[in-house]
Amino acid sequence: MAADVPHRSFGAYADETVPQAAVGAAGKSGRLELSFAADADGRTRLVRDYARTPFHVSGTLGHDPLDRASTVCVQSPTGGVAQGDRHESHVRVGPDAVARVGTASATKVHSMNRNYAATTTALTVESGGHLDYVPDPTILHADARLCRDARLDVARDASAVVGDVVVSGRLARGERFEFERYYARLTGRGPDGRLFEDASHLHPADDDPTAPGVLGDFAVYGTLYAVAPSADESALSDRLHDRVADGPGRAAATTLPNGAGVVVRALGDRSETVSTALHGAWDAARRELLDAPAPDWGRP
Amino acid sequence: MTDEAALASFRLADSFLPVGTYSVSYGLEQFVQSGRVEDAADLTALLETYLRRQLETASLVALRAAHDAAAGDDLDAVCEADRRLLAVTLAAEFRADATRAGDRLLTLQRDLETDPFLEAYADRVADDTAPGTHSAVLGAVAARAGVSERRACLVCCHGFVTDLLGAAQRLLAFGHTDAQRVLTDLQPVIVDAVEGSADCSLDDLIAFTPLVDLVSAEHERADRRLFSS
Repeated sequence: MAADVPHRSFGAYADETVPQAAVGAAGKSGRLELSFAADADGRTRLVRDYARTPFHVSGTLGHDPLDRASTVCVQSPTGGVAQGDRHESHVRVGPDAVARVGTASATKVHSMNRNYAATTTALTVESGGHLDYVPDPTILHADARLCRDARLDVARDASAVVGDVVVSGRLARGERFEFERYYARLTGRGPDGRLFEDASHLHPADDDPTAPGVLGDFAVYGTLYAVAPSADESALSDRLHDRVADGPGRAAATTLPNGAGVVVRALGDRSETVSTALHGAWDAARRELLDAPAPDWGRP
Repeated sequence: MTDEAALASFRLADSFLPVGTYSVSYGLEQFVQSGRVEDAADLTALLETYLRRQLETASLVALRAAHDAAAGDDLDAVCEADRRLLAVTLAAEFRADATRAGDRLLTLQRDLETDPFLEAYADRVADDTAPGTHSAVLGAVAARAGVSERRACLVCCHGFVTDLLGAAQRLLAFGHTDAQRVLTDLQPVIVDAVEGSADCSLDDLIAFTPLVDLVSAEHERADRRLFSS
């Protein structure tokens, strides 16, 4: 088994060589580094950016409802994630900076018959800073194999909103749960270490994703983490819950372990339903944490 | 295992054990309220999800780590297993129930016998450096009582299922024979869960049950509630 396998269930795939461009070849091994800092006027600047294909970044956007915030829209010229891809992203938000990182389109994870695709993400928010990391949905095509590992480090008085929507297939053509394997984990850490860990693992051929208590009848699954160790998490949980409880789809909020903040789970039959519910929760979190609404969900 | 250890395991598995688990439903109350669980078949299917996707992959893994650590007098490792389990327990009501039952079990055990190891563990829980989740406490208590790791896992699963069957009897038209039948039907699932948990480490902890989390979060705000979860 190759030494760099991100999760043991992907070990068997790792030995399979990729017939097209090899693992680690140009265009397969993406790297993204974004670093934001607040300037003397309190406005957030993108102070470092590095993007290796298939990541592409073309500067910042200034349309956030909060004037001092900065937005980066990460683009992908390749049209999706393919077998053998290894993508690594690092986002750092400096003291008192407010940044949003989004994508230009849904992430399509293509069919695979050799190897797998893996992404690792490291998000860091320093004292007084805030990060919104809310990519568009991830669509798992038939036979896709994707392993994602993300880590979020927040200072005690920092905050972050991390959103994730997973679509079980190209629903419009009747494809549901035909992907091979999807594993994703987010570890949230504060100054004293691990605060919470949330992992998803779907392998439809072996473990029925529609089992009661898992996804039931729903085809789309979303989670929004509002991490704010110094916030009143019970009040924040109620605020977010009130925004999502009456639909669309089915969604609810609960407090995260160790006073880390709040998590919203959302389930629906369509990507838009779940995204809309999570956008509501994101907006409520931004109003509570930053006293400003969330930007529109659509393209940045 | 000695006869004394076997008897200790029966005591720990008995619904007579006063750790307050009669008030838990782990989301079942809300599943019943929302019409998703109506009969024994629905209940069996839901319990299978809990056993395979929460106990096997999280609770039992932490229990085994705590058992192993307690058998080797390694309190730091018990607390690490305890903290790791709490960190993956995303539903607030589940955390509250797990730490309440763990606290009661630890207190009870310290009333029954003097074991400096459990005293030291209780100090960690009291000063908040360990959460005292039920599975970690059960692992530690079982190890100190000479109950094997595998038996402790079986106790944990049996206790969990009987607690939820007790709740089901109060929530559904559900007789004693029905309850015993579900318990019997789930035996192979329990054995599989216990087997499967042996292959996992604390780094693999996962409790992937989005709909259970969601239903539990709804239960937090339900108007009428018989149960604490």
